[in-house]
This record gives sequence, structure tokens and C-alpha cells, in this order.
Amino acid sequence: MRMLLRRLSLYAVTAWVAITVNFMLPHLMPGNPVQTMIGKLTGRVTPQQVHAIELSFGGLKGNLVEQYFGYLHQLLLGNLGVSITLASPVSTILRSAVPWTVGLIGISTILSFVLGTFCGTMLGWMRGSRLDSVIPISTFFQAVPYFFLGTVLLLVFGLNLHWFPVLGAYSPSVTPGLSWTYIFSLIRYGELPVITIVLSSVAGWMLGMRNMMITMIAEDFVLMAVAKGLPRRKVIMHAARNAVLPSVANLSLAIGLVVSGALLVELVFNYPGVGNLLLQAVLNEDYPLIQGIFLIITMTVLVANLLADVLYFILDPRTRTQAAV
Amino acid sequence: MIEEFATLVDPNDVDDAVLEIEDFSVDYGWGDSAVHAVNNVTLSVRRSRVLGIAGESGSGKSTLVYAVTRLLRAPGVITGGTARLSFDDSSSSTGQMTTLELTTASERELRKIRWSRVSIVLQSALNALNPVLRIGHEFDEVLKTHRPDMNKSERRQRAAELLALVGLNEERLARFPHELSGGQRQRVMIAVALSLDPQLVILDEPTTALDVVTQREIINELAQLRAQFGFAMIFITHDLTLLVELADDIAVMYAGNVVEWAPARDLYDTPRHPYTLGLLSSSPPLSGERRELVGIAGSPPDMSKPLLGCSFHARCPYALDRCSQEAPPLRVIDKTGRKVACWLHDADNVVPGPLRRTVRISAPTQAVNDAVSGSNQAVVL
Repeated sequence: MRMLLRRLSLYAVTAWVAITVNFMLPHLMPGNPVQTMIGKLTGRVTPQQVHAIELSFGGLKGNLVEQYFGYLHQLLLGNLGVSITLASPVSTILRSAVPWTVGLIGISTILSFVLGTFCGTMLGWMRGSRLDSVIPISTFFQAVPYFFLGTVLLLVFGLNLHWFPVLGAYSPSVTPGLSWTYIFSLIRYGELPVITIVLSSVAGWMLGMRNMMITMIAEDFVLMAVAKGLPRRKVIMHAARNAVLPSVANLSLAIGLVVSGALLVELVFNYPGVGNLLLQAVLNEDYPLIQGIFLIITMTVLVANLLADVLYFILDPRTRTQAAV
Repeated sequence: MIEEFATLVDPNDVDDAVLEIEDFSVDYGWGDSAVHAVNNVTLSVRRSRVLGIAGESGSGKSTLVYAVTRLLRAPGVITGGTARLSFDDSSSSTGQMTTLELTTASERELRKIRWSRVSIVLQSALNALNPVLRIGHEFDEVLKTHRPDMNKSERRQRAAELLALVGLNEERLARFPHELSGGQRQRVMIAVALSLDPQLVILDEPTTALDVVTQREIINELAQLRAQFGFAMIFITHDLTLLVELADDIAVMYAGNVVEWAPARDLYDTPRHPYTLGLLSSSPPLSGERRELVGIAGSPPDMSKPLLGCSFHARCPYALDRCSQEAPPLRVIDKTGRKVACWLHDADNVVPGPLRRTVRISAPTQAVNDAVSGSNQAVVL
């Protein structure tokens, strides 16, 4: 338990550093970001907008330290400022975009991890068999960039063959709500982006797991499992249970990479997630929105890391305590 | 002389053998590059008895037992021989002994006898216990697989009993392997090995990784448990001194061959094969005077090449011309049923002094003197 608390405090410090850097970024740029923005909006600036811009940077009242604490205070209240181009609170905009990305990326990553780990386990167990031919095929998909693979899949299976609906997160003719048609439409529109992400990331999980399995199979405890007369399924589990540990450690790293990589997938499939939003925000120099998105991405990576840590903690007892004897 | 004794009843060849290994050979690899790790080995383990297998690293002692139990991994291949396991088949109403030929047994047949008839304790208990599973799980999965009628609390009860047998508190069931000491882990392994009351427990250097005090405790416990439950053991070690205390019979292996197979005390006190003698001279004596330790000159032969003659002849101080030409068979040489693979004990030869004494001589210098003087006392053949 003490180890877990130590991890938690480490995460709290990391989160604080991330928030501080996020606050500092606009201040480190040459010139006053507020002035830059007002300059961009010349002719259409209302006092309300100026106030909104000021508010988005922590109010701009007092010196940097006071501004910083103002920023922290606003954050605690859940106020991320107001988007300049979209003219609505950043928190509201994020609330509508984040679930799309988390849903798409979360499901794809978990699917890729589970599929890759399972295939890797079997490949490792039956190493040297004809099944090994799966490896070069999957590595090929890993080598092709995400967005390129997405574009090709979109063109071939979406636009040419019409196997999958494309563009958007659900059919425009369906009204969002808790109806089966809506859910079905969500799934149908999500298929191609999910396939893209899974195809391009599954090889990593598979190869990692396969190689760890081959290492584990040589271990004495696997020999013991055979000597005990356990059914083959249980023998494989003995090896897999240990082989999966490095993969779980990698999972936390991968989630960070997938969130940034998904940006391009969202663009290709015109998915209404954070990636699309970030592109618009950057193009429009919408500082409050960029800041808000960075904050959300950082926090997501931190939370994902924490979850992976907890999972590792549960799976590997050796991380829990020092030897008690 | 040999012919005379060969007709006697061999006490090693009695009917109540638990495991009979005959003419067993194992290679690593195939074709010309194959290493002949075990060559035509014949051994048997009697009910409730302890067979010790001694030999230096690479002598094929572990390979032999893993191959016999069909646990040998690729590229190990059984190239010949048979291994019969005998056990009471509780499922058959007649209650008679069933014999299973291990070399040809199916995966299903093997799974059935594994652990319930033959269990194994490995050298490093840290590696043999799955690091991410609790100690209790080791017992639980064995009982769950082989005794499906036991419920959860019965299994736990049984696991606690087994731990008590090796002097551990049942509180250990909830522990992970890394939370136990080396000796405790090895005790856990022994307890797990006894879970299903096996007829035969194979111990592959179970005490090598432990300190001398713990070694002693474990050996004593094994002897007690054997007396209590009557399982047979195959105890593999390179430590002959340790073996003589626990084993009933000892087989000494060299370069994939059994060179001497005799009752433990006889082999220890009055070795008949030059390699056994060398092995004993290179380890400190069990009791009595301290003596100078003498190593065996040279190194074991390259087993990927076909061997001409006796595998030990290049290192043997008593080697005859014949030894480099013809491999000696393992034959009974005296009334105790002792078997030796050595031409020196052939009828036409004068056996060198150290290999024909009848009482143990603690100082090897004296043995050497015997050899020099060629005195003829203490010859029993």
C-alpha cells in the first residue's frame, strides 16, 4: 500500500509540473499573447472578448505569480477559459470532443493489446510452426504510417467497395441518443478507424509477447507445470502470466503515443475527436483551446499511466513489497 | 570370475521395481552433429528405495531422468531404450500393478501419471515456483487437476497439512515465492511434490543451491518423509558424500554411461571403478581424518564424437590397452550385486589395490601405497 501511495504522490507532482508548464507556455512566447490575439481580431473585438482572453490566461491581473495562482484557482473551478474562435467555454468544447477520442482510442488500444497479446502467446507457444508467417504480415502493417494506411483503407474499402461507411462518427440521418440505431451507426462508422489503429499497432504487442513467451517457456516453473500434469491451457497460462508483464509496462507508454498518433487518424476519417479540434485550434491560434487540449492530453496520459501502473502492481507481486523475510 | 557371479540373482533386478530403465539412450540434436548425452543406460529404482545418481556436470544424469519422464525439451531426443513405470492402479478393481511404458506413452497417459505417480523437485526452487503466484496456488492447481472431487476448503486443508510435513506454517500459503528464503522455497517444493502421494520423487540436485546447514536439514527431512510415506526417490547430485547418507543404491555416471552401480555404502567405502575412486578422492570424507583432496586429471570427452573404447580411459590411471579399443559393459562383479563397467575386473587382470580393498581406507596416500606395493591382501572378487 505504501508503494502505491508513493506512486500516487509522484503522479501528483507530475500533474502539477504539467499544469505549470502549460501555464507558462504562452508566457514564454515573444510578445503578449493577449495583444497578439486582440490584434488578430481587430475590428471585431468586444470588451467581453477581451475579458474572455484575459480570463483565459488567468485574468492577467497582477504579476506572474498572482496570475499563476489565479490560473490554478480557475482550473480548480473547472474553468479553462473561453475559446476565441468558437466563442464558447473550452471545458464545454472539450466535453463534447474528449469522449469521441477516448472511445475510439481506448477501444482500439485495448483491442490491439488483447489481440496482440493473445496471438503472441500462441505464436510463442507454437514457435517455429507455420503460424510464424503471421509475423512479417503484421510487421508490414506496423511499418506503414497510420494515416497512410487509414487513407488507403478509406479509399479502397470505404469509397470504392462501400463495405464501410466513411466520414464522421455516425450517420447524419441518425439522431444521437440512446437508441439501437444510433449505437449501431456508431459501431459501423467506428469500424474502419479502429481497424486502422489495430492493424498498425498489433504487431508490436504480438512480437513482444511472442518473444517473452519463448523466454518464459525455457523457465523451470513452466517445466514444473508440465511435470505436474496440468492441462496444456494451464501450462500456457503459467508462461503467459509472466510474459505479459513487460507488455503491461509498455501499455502505459503506448497510450501516450496512440493519443498523439490518433490525431492523424481522426483527420483522415473526419472523426469529431480531440485530434481534429487541436488542428483547428492550432490553425486559428486559439490559445485557450490549445492550452485546454494540452492539459487534457497530459492528464489522459497520466491517468492511463496510473492505470497501467496499478495493473502491473496487481499482476506482479514483486513490485508490491521488498522481500519480507 | 565374472561369469561365476553373473549367474547369481541380481538384487538390483527384483520384481518390485517402480521404474525400470533399460538400454536407454538420449541425443541432443540429430545426425552427425548429435551429442550422445546418455548411452545405453540400464537402471532401476526399487519400491520405497532411494537411488542416487552421481556424476560431474555434463555426465548425463539430469538428461537421463528428464528423458525418462518425457520432460526433455528439444533438441533432446530419446534414441533408444525403454522405461517402465509400475504403479498401483487405484482405478482398476483388481488393485494390481499397472505398468506404463513411458517412452511410448501418449500425452494423455503421461498427464495422468505426472505428479500423481512421479513428481519432481528441481535445483532452484526460486525458478521452479512461478514468481507471480502465491504458494497456495502451487498446491491448489495440482489438487484441482488430479483430485477434481476435492472442494476448495479440502484443498486448502491438504495444502496446510503438506506444509506442516516440511515444518512450515500454513500462513505461508498466502505468500509469494520471493517472500521466502531459499530453504523454505525448497521445502515448499518438496511439500508440493508429495501432494498426491507419488510412488517416485525425482530430486534433481535439490540441495545444491543451499548452504550446508540447510542441506543437512533437508536431507534429514527427506529421509524422515520417505520412512513415513514410503515413496521411492531418484536423487541426482554431484556430491557423493551427501548421497551416501540418503541413498540405498548409487549409480555413478560418466560421459553418458553408468560406470558403477552398487549399494551406497559399498560404493562409498570400496569403490571398484577408477572414476568412482577419483570422484571420492576429490571430495572431503564424511568422517575420520582429514585428507588431501585429489582431482581427476583431464576433462570429460567430447560427446559429439563417437567414442572408441571406455569413455574414461584417457583419464584413467590404470588404463589397459584394451580400454582404448573396446567399451566395457556394465557387469555384476561380486556377490553384493554390484555392477561395474571396467575391464580391470576382468578375470585375466590383477585388480589395482585401491579398487579391490574391502574396508574403507580414509587416507588416499595409503591407497596409493597399496597400489605401489601391489600387496594382495583385502581382495574379494
